[in-house]
Amino acid sequence: MAVTQPCNHLPAAYWVPLKSYLISIGEECPKRLKDLLRLTEDAAGVEEEADIVDVYLLFCNNVLSLFEEVVKKLEKNVTTSVDLFSIMDSFRRRLIQRRDDRLYGYLTKQKLQRLSPSDADVARQEFTAFLNHAISYIEKWFDFSEENWLFHLQPLSLASGKISFDDMENITNRLCLVGRLNISMDDLYEECVSANSLLEHLTQEKEAWQSKGTAERWMERGRLCRRRRQLREEEEEEEEEEESFCGGIIKMPCERKPMRYGHSEGHTEVCFDEHGRFIVTCGNDGDVRIWESLDDDDPKFITVGEKAYSLALKNGKLVTASSNNTVQIHTFPEGEPDGILTRFTTNATHVTFNSSGSRVAAGSSDFMVKVVEVSDSSQQKTLRGHEAPVLSVTFDPKEDFLASSSCDGSVVVWNIEEQTQVISWPLLQKTNDVSNAKSLCRLAWQPRGGKFPVDTKVHLYERGTWEHVSTLCDDLLTQPVNVVAWSPCGQFLAAGSVGGALTLWDVNSKLCVERQKHEKGFTVCGLAWHPSGAQIAYTDTEGCLGLLDGLSVSTADSSAPKAAVNKPVKDYDALFDDDDDDRVLDEGLSDTNSPVKRHVAVDEDDDEDDVLIPSTGRVRNRGAILDDENSLDTGSLKLGPDTFRDDDDDTGGAVVPRSVALAPPRPVYEGPMPSAPQKAFQPGSTPAHLTHRFMMWNSVGIVRGYNDEQDNAVDVEFHDTAVHHAMHLTNSLGHTMADISQEAVLLACTSTDELASKLQCLHFSSWDTNKEWMVDLPPGEDARALCLGGGWAAVATSTLMLRLFSIGGVQRDVFSLPGPVVCMVAHGEQLLIVYHRATGFDGEQVLGVQLLQFGRRKRQIMNEPLPLSLRSHLTWLGFTAEGTPCYVDSDGVVRLLNRSLGNTWTPVCNTRETCKSRSDHYWVVGVHENPQQLRCIPCKGSRYPPTLPRPAVAILPFKLPLCQTATEKGQMEEQFLRSVLFHNHYSFLSSSGYEVDEDGQSRSQKEQQELLMKMFALSCKLEREFRSVELAELMTHNVVTLAIRANQIQEEEPEAQDEEPEHKSIRRNSGYDQSEVTGGHHSNRHNQVEEEEQGQELGEEEDGQEMETEETPESRRRLNPFAKEAVSPVQPSLTPIGKVGRANPFKVFGSGKASASSGQSRGTNILDNMTSSRKSAPPGLSAGKPGKSPVLKPLAPRPKSKTQSTLLQMTGTKTANKKPQGNTEPAADQRKQAEVPPPASPADHTDNKRPKTGFQLWLEENRKSIVFDQPDMEETDVIKEAMGRFRTMSAEDRLSWTERAKGQTGDDLKKRKRAGGEDVGSENGREEADESDAKKKKSLDSVSKLSAFAFNKN
Amino acid sequence: MDPAEVEFLSEKEIVKIIPNFSLDKIYLIGGDLGPFNPGLPVEVPVWLALNLKQRQKCRIVPPEWMDVEKLEEIRELERKEGTFAPVPSPYYMELTKLLLNHASDNIPKADEIRTLVKDIWDTRIAKLRLSADSFINQQEAHAKLDNLTLMEINTIRSFFLDSLNFMYKLRSNMQPASSKGKAMDY
Repeated sequence: MAVTQPCNHLPAAYWVPLKSYLISIGEECPKRLKDLLRLTEDAAGVEEEADIVDVYLLFCNNVLSLFEEVVKKLEKNVTTSVDLFSIMDSFRRRLIQRRDDRLYGYLTKQKLQRLSPSDADVARQEFTAFLNHAISYIEKWFDFSEENWLFHLQPLSLASGKISFDDMENITNRLCLVGRLNISMDDLYEECVSANSLLEHLTQEKEAWQSKGTAERWMERGRLCRRRRQLREEEEEEEEEEESFCGGIIKMPCERKPMRYGHSEGHTEVCFDEHGRFIVTCGNDGDVRIWESLDDDDPKFITVGEKAYSLALKNGKLVTASSNNTVQIHTFPEGEPDGILTRFTTNATHVTFNSSGSRVAAGSSDFMVKVVEVSDSSQQKTLRGHEAPVLSVTFDPKEDFLASSSCDGSVVVWNIEEQTQVISWPLLQKTNDVSNAKSLCRLAWQPRGGKFPVDTKVHLYERGTWEHVSTLCDDLLTQPVNVVAWSPCGQFLAAGSVGGALTLWDVNSKLCVERQKHEKGFTVCGLAWHPSGAQIAYTDTEGCLGLLDGLSVSTADSSAPKAAVNKPVKDYDALFDDDDDDRVLDEGLSDTNSPVKRHVAVDEDDDEDDVLIPSTGRVRNRGAILDDENSLDTGSLKLGPDTFRDDDDDTGGAVVPRSVALAPPRPVYEGPMPSAPQKAFQPGSTPAHLTHRFMMWNSVGIVRGYNDEQDNAVDVEFHDTAVHHAMHLTNSLGHTMADISQEAVLLACTSTDELASKLQCLHFSSWDTNKEWMVDLPPGEDARALCLGGGWAAVATSTLMLRLFSIGGVQRDVFSLPGPVVCMVAHGEQLLIVYHRATGFDGEQVLGVQLLQFGRRKRQIMNEPLPLSLRSHLTWLGFTAEGTPCYVDSDGVVRLLNRSLGNTWTPVCNTRETCKSRSDHYWVVGVHENPQQLRCIPCKGSRYPPTLPRPAVAILPFKLPLCQTATEKGQMEEQFLRSVLFHNHYSFLSSSGYEVDEDGQSRSQKEQQELLMKMFALSCKLEREFRSVELAELMTHNVVTLAIRANQIQEEEPEAQDEEPEHKSIRRNSGYDQSEVTGGHHSNRHNQVEEEEQGQELGEEEDGQEMETEETPESRRRLNPFAKEAVSPVQPSLTPIGKVGRANPFKVFGSGKASASSGQSRGTNILDNMTSSRKSAPPGLSAGKPGKSPVLKPLAPRPKSKTQSTLLQMTGTKTANKKPQGNTEPAADQRKQAEVPPPASPADHTDNKRPKTGFQLWLEENRKSIVFDQPDMEETDVIKEAMGRFRTMSAEDRLSWTERAKGQTGDDLKKRKRAGGEDVGSENGREEADESDAKKKKSLDSVSKLSAFAFNKN
Repeated sequence: MDPAEVEFLSEKEIVKIIPNFSLDKIYLIGGDLGPFNPGLPVEVPVWLALNLKQRQKCRIVPPEWMDVEKLEEIRELERKEGTFAPVPSPYYMELTKLLLNHASDNIPKADEIRTLVKDIWDTRIAKLRLSADSFINQQEAHAKLDNLTLMEINTIRSFFLDSLNFMYKLRSNMQPASSKGKAMDY
């Protein structure tokens, strides 16, 4: 059964079509399968039945191969909708043909003859039925009538090589393109005619043309003629509709990436490193930049001189021609100088490596060309003969020859060994200097042969015979070509012109493959291929860098299908090659078809000594990844006879080297690569290599460093000239680091061969005559980072030491750091150090942060990892003006230490979000918490600002990255959280014993409470009751009551429901307890008194509510003591300190208190004195503008209290009035008499026994103002005067005072009853009160002050 | 109205300065100014800016339009257009003069800016003269003064109004035959 044998394999071999068939028969499927299986089962039992099975299987095979063919066609990615109809139509025809001819395959026919006639008939009938079914199925799903628009699209396939206008008209009409795209039919006709003339030319190569897919045919046509886009548009329109049918679309061959700023204006050059990982550019600014990609915002750079004219890169060596008339070597990518290769009498214009990287050729403006051995720069060969500056030089791939072009108009080929001219062509216009030359006339040897000088056309000469072979031109290329570059495979040539055109030719066909225009039309002066051939990088004379991407994709795409059609075997090879390590593989012989190249190839095979690949012979460009095997097929296909041989070579070439390549397996580490640890820097400085740079820009001043030929100096300038006048210092020591504070300027330099690293301090605030001291660090120790704190200076060194000096120069401390320092900042007594904890991988930095506190209590506050954004590094570190650590990473994220959450870091701003362009940055110079400001300098297109023109500081707002900040809820949450976060510094300052700006503190608290109210209102509106309760828990008590009131009023109007008050009182009570917790750390007393006030004001109804819901508050209270206890121990320690009159030296001098600072006392500003005097002016005066500044209680009756339409309003005005009044008084106290003992407790508690009258209460508050008005009054007179004033008040006001007096005592008692022992906070307060009873009685004056203080809002 | 008055009006324009002193908000009749933080830009009227600058209390940040490129654009536009092109500031001439006279050290490329603004001014004044000429020639009754600044109007106002008055007089004298003798006097 030889014949049946394959049958068993057939289903497996044809499983794919079988599957699609089975799916296609749909519901019929199970039945048919059963039929089939039945047959098979039978076959197992009965011997002769096997034939029947064979027949069926053979038939299946036959038919399914038809199906398969069609499916393959449809699946091909070059298949377009244009081909669809013809594929389907021919398929149907073939099926019908078979049915009508009753031919089910030749083998089937033979088998059928052997079967019994009856069986054969049955089989035939079934086969016919099957075919019928298939046909009807196809017809059902595909419209074969001429109505189908696919039918009309057929002419677009260009298969015939003609387009008839009638067809096109038909298509346009059918697709209604005239209406939709405004296609002019006359234009279309023109287009058809011109297309036909082009197509005629194309279809001459009949074979190639027919084998092409539709897309390719159009592309060919497009290459010939792109001037008119009309047809393309039409096609694109169709493509949209096609996409549902098939993926084969016509691709734009390459993508032009947007240009980006690379260098300053002027000549630039570009190249890739040999692995294609970096783009390396050089430019007029003397920098060589190393871009990891076009999007690399922070390229590494190497400064090579004042200007860089040309660069070449090979084997980790970077050769540059710079303005000091030398050709230098730097290591790559580190950028360490590696010596000078050669010198000229004037600057070199072009440098280039030979292919192995062993020699460098340089052409210079002094008419000479030098060839230098890289390893031994004494081995030079000088080529003399040019009579004008040399424009460009290039090595022959075999290094026998060197070509150069010159301004004298000649292009010369030299024999390097003999140093003679081989041939010279007068091709160019004569000029006298490179800058005047019309074209740079870069030359390039094809990697395997030919050679090109340049003009408006590109000429091609053959190596050896030096005959002009051909010219590449393009009608669109009107201006001289500036640069040319061969693709690594040598098949394509890219050229950039003066007019900014980038053109890509396929050299074999001499067709222009790709045309791109520089986006701004600037002159292209640098051009480089990616080693893979996929990208071309180019630069222009404006210093911009651009990239053409996706080149190889297009070439591979267009040729891959061809290979698939003609030689599937080869296709597999190509696949395999791609996976392989392409560096070693070189597909050489595949391109030997081109006569030019073959000549050279033969030449080269002999003398290649480092042959790794015997059969192919060339390892010319190890960096090159040759994926051009496919693209080269174009050539091979054209030359029919060659194709076969070529094919053999290909396979041979591909297989042999693979084994060679694998034999010595190179140890390649493929895991994550360690990232270079970032270098130490001074926050607020620009990079040290700049000649003019900021050495420090902080909130005190600016230190600028100049380091050019004539001058090496440091300029110190203070923002506030009152601190010190500007200074100009000569920088003879070469200081590179600086810090500046209100007291001193600290400078440091690293060690040189002779001199040790020095630290210099200009202590300008010193009161003796010696304003300067200097310290040498021990030998071998270099200063890495330094900073100035309040009264001390710190320097971190290369030996992982931290040295602490007093500001006068005493060595105070020395300790070791946990890792190499990155940077260091100080603020007052705090020192923040960031260091490397370990090596990071894949661009990450592993940094740690250490926060130390000096002063009386020296301690380490934290030592933790520093969180950074992914793959970013630290760019700024500092303290806010208020003393909170803060830093910025290279992603622009600003993070602030959250002391209240266990020293975590909260991102507070992303400066990149506000940037207009990707390459813009903000250079942070300072952070303020109150007011919330991020002070930074916007840098357009750079990371650092230039020193001139002097940059201006801009202010950015903070924004916490919360979710849904577009919604009102999110916004308020963000504001609240931010307010809380930026409020932390108050507690920090007061805990470390500094004076706190209480105005600001109360303002921010008020803001928080307002926000809570708003959020509360919002969630009430949304009927989110649980959320409202949550929010209410965050509120202080009095705000809760306000919230309740607001809610009540709101709901009373639309008939309040019974359960509402219950809810509210729950909220209220919870808030009640909570208020002690939240407000506790500010001042317990304040809260208590306020509660009392509130209680009194709210009167009876509150009581009523409480009665109703007695159980609920109790249950809640049981939860809360826990929280209270946690807070209460802190209180005693916090509150007294807050009053100690120690000045906060870092306070923002926003208010009049600033006059206390040292800087201000020196200042001569009259306006300053004015403000402070205004502050102390009699309250009667300041009462005139109550809204502006905090005022003492105004005497005039308040109009608002008359219109007490709602209770809410009343309480609202009261609290509003009370706040400012309370605020100023303690502040004034502090100023006037700093020696006043800490006011311990509200006066009310002293009056527990005898109830006060309203007048007394009022007097307590206003007494001071009366005394102030008439300071010489006697005690009795004061009271008289007060009585008089009290009477002038409106009746309502007086009433409210009396009520308050009543409520105070009543509420006090009531509360104590209610709160019992649990109310720890209030107990505390009372204890304090008792303690200070004695003090209280000292004078009535202080009592009044204290009671006024009691009304101070927390 | 004389140029000094126009200049006085221009001094109310707002300009940014970078103070080198610290001062709380100051409350003036014209509005509140400040607070002044050393090193932080703040917006003040020109008169204060100049005053502070003279006392070396601040650096002036040149207005955005006071930039060579922008002014070049404006100049080109002005030259191209037949009518008056919009100017960067209604007091561009006065501000340029004030700021460049007093704070040229704070303004990059001060000389170029001076030349450019002078160019713009000359172009506009030439246009103004031309249009005044055609206004009189064609005996128009009204003219549109779009995009003209106060200073520009001011330069031509006295001359223009006087001459119009004068011409009116001449014309009204010409028409009645009786006054012919009077016209002879001129």
